[in-house]
Amino acid sequence: MALTKVYDAATVFKHLNGIINVYKPAGVKVQHVRNAILSNISKGLNELEQREPRKLPKSRLLLGTGTAADPVLHNINSNTDLSDTIFAAGSRYMPRDTRCATVATLGDHTSGVLLFGLNKGLHQSSQIQRNRPVRVYHVTARMGTATETHLPGSRVTVRANHKYVTAERISGLAASMQASHQRKMYELCGVDLQTQAAYELACKGLLRPADNSQPVIYGIKLIHFERPHFTLELHAINENEQFLASLVHDMAIELRTVAHCSQLRCIRHAHFDVKDSLLRHGWHLAGIMKNLQEQRKILEAHPQILDQERVDLHAATEAKI
Amino acid sequence: MFGSWIRNIARNAKLTQTTTKYNVVIQQLCQLRALRSAPRAVQVTEPAAKVAESSDTPDALPPLKQNNKQARELALDFGPREAQLPSFNLAAYVNDSQTLQQLLQLGVDLSNIERRKGLGQFVLKLDFEQDVKPYLMFLSDQGVSPDDFGKMITKNPLLFKEDLQDLQTRVEYLKSKRFSDEARQRIFTQNPYWLMFSTRRVDRRLGYFQKEFQLTGHDLRLMATREPRLITYKMEHIRKAVFTLREEMGFSAKELQTLIVRKPRLMMTPADVLVERFSYVHNEMALSHAQIIQCPELLASREFRLRERHEFLKLLGRAQYDPQKDLYISPSEIVQGNNFYFVRNVAKSDLETFELFLKNR
Repeated sequence: MALTKVYDAATVFKHLNGIINVYKPAGVKVQHVRNAILSNISKGLNELEQREPRKLPKSRLLLGTGTAADPVLHNINSNTDLSDTIFAAGSRYMPRDTRCATVATLGDHTSGVLLFGLNKGLHQSSQIQRNRPVRVYHVTARMGTATETHLPGSRVTVRANHKYVTAERISGLAASMQASHQRKMYELCGVDLQTQAAYELACKGLLRPADNSQPVIYGIKLIHFERPHFTLELHAINENEQFLASLVHDMAIELRTVAHCSQLRCIRHAHFDVKDSLLRHGWHLAGIMKNLQEQRKILEAHPQILDQERVDLHAATEAKI
Repeated sequence: MFGSWIRNIARNAKLTQTTTKYNVVIQQLCQLRALRSAPRAVQVTEPAAKVAESSDTPDALPPLKQNNKQARELALDFGPREAQLPSFNLAAYVNDSQTLQQLLQLGVDLSNIERRKGLGQFVLKLDFEQDVKPYLMFLSDQGVSPDDFGKMITKNPLLFKEDLQDLQTRVEYLKSKRFSDEARQRIFTQNPYWLMFSTRRVDRRLGYFQKEFQLTGHDLRLMATREPRLITYKMEHIRKAVFTLREEMGFSAKELQTLIVRKPRLMMTPADVLVERFSYVHNEMALSHAQIIQCPELLASREFRLRERHEFLKLLGRAQYDPQKDLYISPSEIVQGNNFYFVRNVAKSDLETFELFLKNR
């Protein structure tokens, strides 16, 4: 099949369906990213070839007053419906023409993978949301100072020494926290960890929360340590910025010091990796279309992102009974 | 007593007479209008074919319909031009209004005009020959290129409300202040609101800038020509920005003078944004006031852009802004061009590295 170049806005808009993976910079609101993407899409579409204005019906009254002062009558050239031209009716594509929804939001201070569903991809985005895929974060903490919101840029409340904190102690704490979070999931399901039921539950796959109210952590790992900073890799579902920040804060208190998050970065959301995400200078129509195709390939390669056996609901209902 | 009776009767008779006379006149007018619109209805684009067709099919329905239509128009008592139903936008009137058609041909964005309050109403009432043409002639006399008319009218259609004599006076004022032909042309094209301001007001504004920064006449003209929008900008806003530049950032009078003449747009940026940029440039990039004056584009560039580029250079070990030392990178080069240009020519790296860097922060 031969490939052809597309110059037509309508064709492009017809294919503007699916999921895009955008790299959200830190310090920018999700809403701003969304507005920027949508306005860039409409700007790009308006720069492409537009449809011709409509034709008028053949028989029209002629224009002009026809009085003695102004006796010339007029007709519109080539029967173009002038009310349908771009200058009269406004630009053909506006930001609100493209429907757009986030799969899961990120906080203001978080950077990283942000998934948007566009037009017909809204369905896919809600499916992904319902399946609650794991998100992976790299959280960098700065030891020595605690802030009011546990995030950078707010008021410093406490200072403390952190000379005695070593990488071994942090990884030890991380491992124990991971174990206790995992145990908690099984306990919430009402299953003892040392039973056949727990084994069968674990065989079915990841144990997910039934709704999006309770944050759950599946893994914490120390990946980088350079005083006063250390970086954790976190696998979590239903988390939010505030939860991660207070987690870091609590960890630091366990380590007999204080800390705040200096950077929060989402590096993976299900199979959507930060490597494929679209940076700010790529937020134009061509880049977005290319990204749509790449994400579609990922969705085709991993159909379980959209359609998944629901272990969690089972577990939750059992727990309730 | 009797006399007054008679007088009253006479007056009544007169009144009824006049009303009947008016009625007659109105009826006549209606008839005239019907007569006038009737031939128009017949004279359509392809007269020969149309006439033949109608003669072939002796159908009574279409004429009847037309009659009905005419009757309705007459009942509403609209003239032919304003025989329209109310509409939400100007596009509905475009096919019937010659003025709007002419404006469209000039490249005026009617959809933009109608978004602003009251302007749609105003534009609809214009008559091209009387209200628009003289102004366009006037503008082209001032050297404004006809290609720019569309943009200018889109921005400020209220120019047609001003008196031509006043406009001429305002141009004469600029001439008397020794603005060159090119300068005036640029001013009118870039800022269509300038001509709306009375000479007294413009004079006050120019005086403010001259006094505030002790500008020479040449510098003032340069500044006003470089950013004509500045002169008609909100004064409150400008005062705030000037306060920020002078007091919060601590530029001296001399420095401020060069800064605003080279980059008048700084006075139109919000003060908090300005401070944010300045604090990054001055504190993080450690550039002195003198260096910032050398390159005012730094303050005109968005903060995230500066941050990305400076941090990337720092990562590569190339953030060296001291001209006395080796491997000097001019601060003005940092803000130039797009990311690709920056990465290749300033950072001397490749885009993959830069993207990897951006994805790690």
